[in-house]
Amino acid sequence: MSVPASIQKLDQLPPEMLEFTLLKKTGALAPRLGRLSLPRRKSILTPGFIGNTSRGVIPHVSQDNFRKSVELGGVYIALEDFVEKHPQKTPPIFKYEVPEPLRKFIALPEETLLVLGARRNPPIPSPVANTNTQIGLLTSVGFTTISSDYYAAAARKLQPDVVVGLADIPFGQAAVGLKRKDKMSDRTETWLRDLIVKQGTMDDAEKGWSIFAPILPIDRHLQSWYLEHLLDDMVDKIDGVAIYDAYLLHELPEQLHHLPRLSFHAPASPQELLRQISLGMDLFTVPFINDATDAGVALDFNFPAPVKHHASSTRRSLGIDMWSDDHALSVTPLSHNCTCYACTKHHRAFVQHLLGAKEMLGWVLIQLHNHAIICAFFAGVRASIEVGTFDTDVAAFEAYYEPDLPEKTGQGPRVRGYQFKSEAHAKKGKKNPKAFNKFGGEDLVKLKAAHGQQPNKKPATRDVIDDEALLGLVGMEEHGINADAAVQMDKLNLEDDERR
Amino acid sequence: MSSVIPRPIMAPASMPSALRFELLGKCSVTKARAATLHLPHGPVPLPIFMPVATQASLKGLTPAQLEDQGCRLCLNNTYHLYGLLQLPHAPLLTNGRGLKPGQATLDAVGGAHKLQAWPHNILTDSGGFQMVSLLKLAKVTEEGVRFLSPHDGSPMLLTPEHSISLQNSIGSDIIMQLDDVIATTSPDHARMKEAMERSVRWLDRCIQAHKYPDRQNLFCIIQGGLHLDMRRECTAQMVARDTPGIAIGGLSGGEEKDAYCSVVKACTELLPEKKPRYVMGVGYPEDLVVSVALGADMFDCVWPTRTARFGNAITSRGVLNIRNAVYSEDFGPIEKGCRCTCCRPTSEGGLGITRAYIYHVTAKETAGAHLLTMHNVHYQLNLMRLAREAILKDRYPHFVRDFFSKLYDGDQQKYPEWAVTALRGVGVDLHSD
Repeated sequence: MSVPASIQKLDQLPPEMLEFTLLKKTGALAPRLGRLSLPRRKSILTPGFIGNTSRGVIPHVSQDNFRKSVELGGVYIALEDFVEKHPQKTPPIFKYEVPEPLRKFIALPEETLLVLGARRNPPIPSPVANTNTQIGLLTSVGFTTISSDYYAAAARKLQPDVVVGLADIPFGQAAVGLKRKDKMSDRTETWLRDLIVKQGTMDDAEKGWSIFAPILPIDRHLQSWYLEHLLDDMVDKIDGVAIYDAYLLHELPEQLHHLPRLSFHAPASPQELLRQISLGMDLFTVPFINDATDAGVALDFNFPAPVKHHASSTRRSLGIDMWSDDHALSVTPLSHNCTCYACTKHHRAFVQHLLGAKEMLGWVLIQLHNHAIICAFFAGVRASIEVGTFDTDVAAFEAYYEPDLPEKTGQGPRVRGYQFKSEAHAKKGKKNPKAFNKFGGEDLVKLKAAHGQQPNKKPATRDVIDDEALLGLVGMEEHGINADAAVQMDKLNLEDDERR
Repeated sequence: MSSVIPRPIMAPASMPSALRFELLGKCSVTKARAATLHLPHGPVPLPIFMPVATQASLKGLTPAQLEDQGCRLCLNNTYHLYGLLQLPHAPLLTNGRGLKPGQATLDAVGGAHKLQAWPHNILTDSGGFQMVSLLKLAKVTEEGVRFLSPHDGSPMLLTPEHSISLQNSIGSDIIMQLDDVIATTSPDHARMKEAMERSVRWLDRCIQAHKYPDRQNLFCIIQGGLHLDMRRECTAQMVARDTPGIAIGGLSGGEEKDAYCSVVKACTELLPEKKPRYVMGVGYPEDLVVSVALGADMFDCVWPTRTARFGNAITSRGVLNIRNAVYSEDFGPIEKGCRCTCCRPTSEGGLGITRAYIYHVTAKETAGAHLLTMHNVHYQLNLMRLAREAILKDRYPHFVRDFFSKLYDGDQQKYPEWAVTALRGVGVDLHSD
């Protein structure tokens, strides 16, 4: 039964950590090529991007489609999506007693890098102010706070691959005073230390995780204490930096240049992505992918841009509005030469039909496509940096494409509570249009009476409502129906939406 | 009375068929049958549950995901395909003259299979089912169903000829006749008889209008409400017209389950053995299991996919509402041993999704609905697969007893009386061991 000592020792090797190799670097504020690797995970070539998730899933992309149809080396997960029961109850995820509970819970493939942060990206400003020990979060049931200790303990329990340190940033505040900025830097340092201490107390058998240190979106001299301490006694404990303002990259201390840079500075367009890349940013979550998808816009651009044939003054659009009737008879793919699932299996006419019919598959297909477009975009960027034509390619891209993504014309999918900003003094408008707004309340009463249905009594009864059949009934009220006005139609919950 | 229905010119006329019904086994006790139905887009096992992809999409699932759950035959809804594919501003059907912009779209795209990239079989309804819901809003005449355009309120007419023409454009493998559907619970006997007889006359018009009998199978629909005599008369008339398959329609509209079972039994007793029998709109697991025992082969229902969107999971122990907080810390699969994409463990190529995760995403992310929809569709398909295996081994009575025992946790007192009665009628005593 004796196992050779050397083999026993192999098992006791410290867990292998994240490795970042700079493959090409031309200067301090210049695009660079790198490779982020961790044993058992797919390497991520940088500049590159990781998936931006909501409740553990890239919106509209179920886990099987993620495996089959999305090529992503990593995902970003926000802790605030998992702790809605806190502090009244222990959130369920912490009771899942398996190795790597978070990965297992959300059914993330073994080879995908899992990056954990506190807040969604971009975060919705929390009216609950951060304190010296607490950070404000927005969960699906409302605003709450967690302590820095709680965050560190959560990281240890959930065993992600990378943990982004808590940053004290008063999101949504227009002007931040000097004193507040001082506090930002102090708290961020304390919170990062808490995380490092927690990491240090882990025993060898536990799965390790790497720490990305937040770099605040304030001038260097205002976070100089924090940065100084970071360099003095924390730099060997961190494996990357999380950048909240890409345009302050020139102030990043030299000693941190070897570390991978994860951007939390949400770009609004591919042009802004290029600008950040040109300053040396490595890794992104790209929130505009999902914004475009929800707007029904299929991204349609390449990097480098195609060669302009004639000097026309009009620039090409960055995306296609799939709501447009122009596609009703179009059997072409969303983008020419795109090899994504949507483009190889389906065509524009179908996607347009799905959006018009409010079928969820429409957004699924556009989301798969949009991720493929951004994947190809980053591959193009890396090739361009490799051959040294990046600057001219960027200029050509900017000349070829319009600067902004197309406006949304149709309706998106239903917006959930944790997806929009709730403002105390804002007008109470509906976040989602009524599902059947051509019917007045009275018409629905008539309809219901005609069908003898009783909404919301029991789930079983409620299910009897044929919402598909309702679709065809608009504008037919002149035919007499016995109406029972007592039935409260406002409560007709066809989509089972949740209100707080 | 029978003079209202024209006798078929040649009874039984040999109508071309684009399917082959291969009967593989019959239960020696009940009337259950196992068969393979060879359709233009491949064979499907019978008995079968057909999920409803109303608008050419199964509630968020890609065709590949639907395929992964084992589905080879799904439903599309003519009314929705047609209504939604039409260009705006163009009327659906104008005064019976049949301007058909939706058809132009379908023709340009090359039919419903191409539209939704579904390489397997499709069944379309006639558009008549919507008329059940529209009944008080639409008017049925001998010509067809008059109703107002859902787009601009202009008067429209759906005739048997239009319905078939639309389904010809859709290119579905099984097409349904336009029938005069009224709620089975209607007390108006005369109207019921009129509807039954009209459905037969409309079938003749559908047969006449059907352009591609060599590649699309027209099914007749037996009407007659809950009146067994009327059902029997209709069955005889329909059978004489020799369509490739036969449907029993108008049920699943809130009638008593006992009455439902009597109708299905009365019809199947008169139906030829060598043709598929489709009971329209039926979908609860108990209904499927009992209806199979009564001799039915095909079923469809929106319930499994709709209820998934409400967070309900179908399991052999009943329907679980996963939005209930008790599941928030339940780290087991939706159903142990289930082979669907969600429940199958990762070690076997599945996702290993837990009830707790469904609780976490359902009604919050569309992907939550996708996951449960896959599970529910798989459950229904698998239930019919297991029924088929049992029939082939001539163990269907055992299967039925086992099914009810699991569903009611062994408590025979809880068995629904209608199921006990209906099964007793075909030789199965649920209360014996």
